[in-house]
Amino acid sequence: MVHESLVGKRGLPYLFLLPAAILLLGLLISPIITGVVMSFQITDLGGTTLWSGVANYKLLIQETRFLGNVRNSIVYVLGNIILSTPLAYAAALLITSKFTQAQFFRGFYLLPWIIAPVVSTVLFRSMLDPRLGPIAKLIEWLAGREVIILADPFWALAFVVFHSFWRSFPFVMLFLAAGIATIPGEIYEAATVDGAGRWKRFIHLTLPMTSNQLGISLLIITIWTLHDAETIYAFTGGGPGYSTETLAVRLFKSSFINFDLNMGATIGVILIVLSLIFMSFYLRLTIGRGAER
Amino acid sequence: MIGQRIGLTIKNILVWLAFIGIALFVLSPILWGIKTSLAPRYDYGFFPSKLTLDHYFALFQRVELFIYFRNSLFVAGGSITIVLPVAILAAYSLARFKFRGSQFGVLFLVLPMLPAVAILVPLIAYMNKIGLYNTLLAVILVNAVFNMPFAIWMLRNFILANPFSIEESALIDGCSRVQMLILVAVPMMAPGLIAVVIFVFINSWNNYMYAFALTSSPGHRVLPQGILAFLGSWGTYWGGLTAIGTLALIPPVVLFLIFQKWFVAGLFGQQLK
Repeated sequence: MVHESLVGKRGLPYLFLLPAAILLLGLLISPIITGVVMSFQITDLGGTTLWSGVANYKLLIQETRFLGNVRNSIVYVLGNIILSTPLAYAAALLITSKFTQAQFFRGFYLLPWIIAPVVSTVLFRSMLDPRLGPIAKLIEWLAGREVIILADPFWALAFVVFHSFWRSFPFVMLFLAAGIATIPGEIYEAATVDGAGRWKRFIHLTLPMTSNQLGISLLIITIWTLHDAETIYAFTGGGPGYSTETLAVRLFKSSFINFDLNMGATIGVILIVLSLIFMSFYLRLTIGRGAER
Repeated sequence: MIGQRIGLTIKNILVWLAFIGIALFVLSPILWGIKTSLAPRYDYGFFPSKLTLDHYFALFQRVELFIYFRNSLFVAGGSITIVLPVAILAAYSLARFKFRGSQFGVLFLVLPMLPAVAILVPLIAYMNKIGLYNTLLAVILVNAVFNMPFAIWMLRNFILANPFSIEESALIDGCSRVQMLILVAVPMMAPGLIAVVIFVFINSWNNYMYAFALTSSPGHRVLPQGILAFLGSWGTYWGGLTAIGTLALIPPVVLFLIFQKWFVAGLFGQQLK
């Protein structure tokens, strides 16, 4: 046991932080630096590492596959945000309402968010199965012809987004609910007395008073979906072709399947730079809230 | 009066419809999965002709499934064992001490937003160098480190919500700071510790990417990684796949439903208890 007198009162807070700092510096921060270095190198077939300047970046930018990766990442992120927000608001208003069933339903609404990506993939893919899946039957009926959903570039991407939306909307919901819970009830009562209808109260009270939470939760969703390789890799493997391959999935496949670690590191640097931009927005919004979370 | 009452009833019905509508959206994939796992193999209907546990029994014949379960438990348990003491110390320091540099504590809130998938690439090289590549210890370490920043932040908030006066009086009564931490502060942060344990458990139980990147032999696969392999080799044997999916779902869902209150408070703030 460490005795106080050994370190003195001034050293104690640092000593307490030391184990965390060592682990995080060693296995989280320093890999980032190594990653940047690796992105400027190539490894030849003999396993020798050579400096290559910006060759990896040049190679990437000239690829049509990479442009597709960027496009898919944008579709994936925006699709998630556009689908999550309205449903999350509706659900957040419901679970923060005074109805007795609110607490009961909240537990269920959170389930998609704690289910493993692989497991929800199994659930969704069984529903997309051309022979027995109910969703496949629905799409067949809508399109008027048989559609093999995961073999069709458009439908595959659409369901990659939908699957992820199902998984991530509960998070936005809870975040918004936390914001709604802090709005004092009297404000609503006053507005109701003044004759403001349900919709008006939402637009003029709930929305502005939760805009901060909305901003933060959408930033978190943006960052998560941008980084998310697991969900899509399990769902489609990036296919058919490269039609659902986002930047993160490309990185995953390059590094962990093809073992082209230098190319993986290069895409990683791009992802890290993008993340840092979003993180700075996030920090600004959170500190604006008094960093109480 | 009567008109108002009818208005209220219609409103009630609409609210119930909204609650149930969202519940259907959320639960239907899960219910479909459970149904498929209990239906005979080529029974495609919404309501199967009979229920059977055949798919589950077929799974229990597979030795590798038990290895995957064991590996997953080992990884989750190991990660919790590392995160918990480290996070207690760091969180306590951030919550209760004023020191130069403490404003950088907010870094723990933003570190989880770094892309794990990108950091894993150099980590493969690191683990190779220190001889941990293709071991579960590597998976445990990475799980622990990637979950640690937010665990620390979460615990810090729980500690801040407790009054300092009790810890203070323990100090006045002659406890050393370390004694006070173990005997007074840690028991008081129990809800926070539960939230951390659930958080780390669910994240490491659900994740396959770290094991995918850091191990290569099938004997080191974690459960979701095993399911991914089954998904590749069983093709459309949905009965078996949904059965193993249902089994994998049980531990996090049960833990979550029991400890929901603290878990949600840990992630989203105390007002949502």
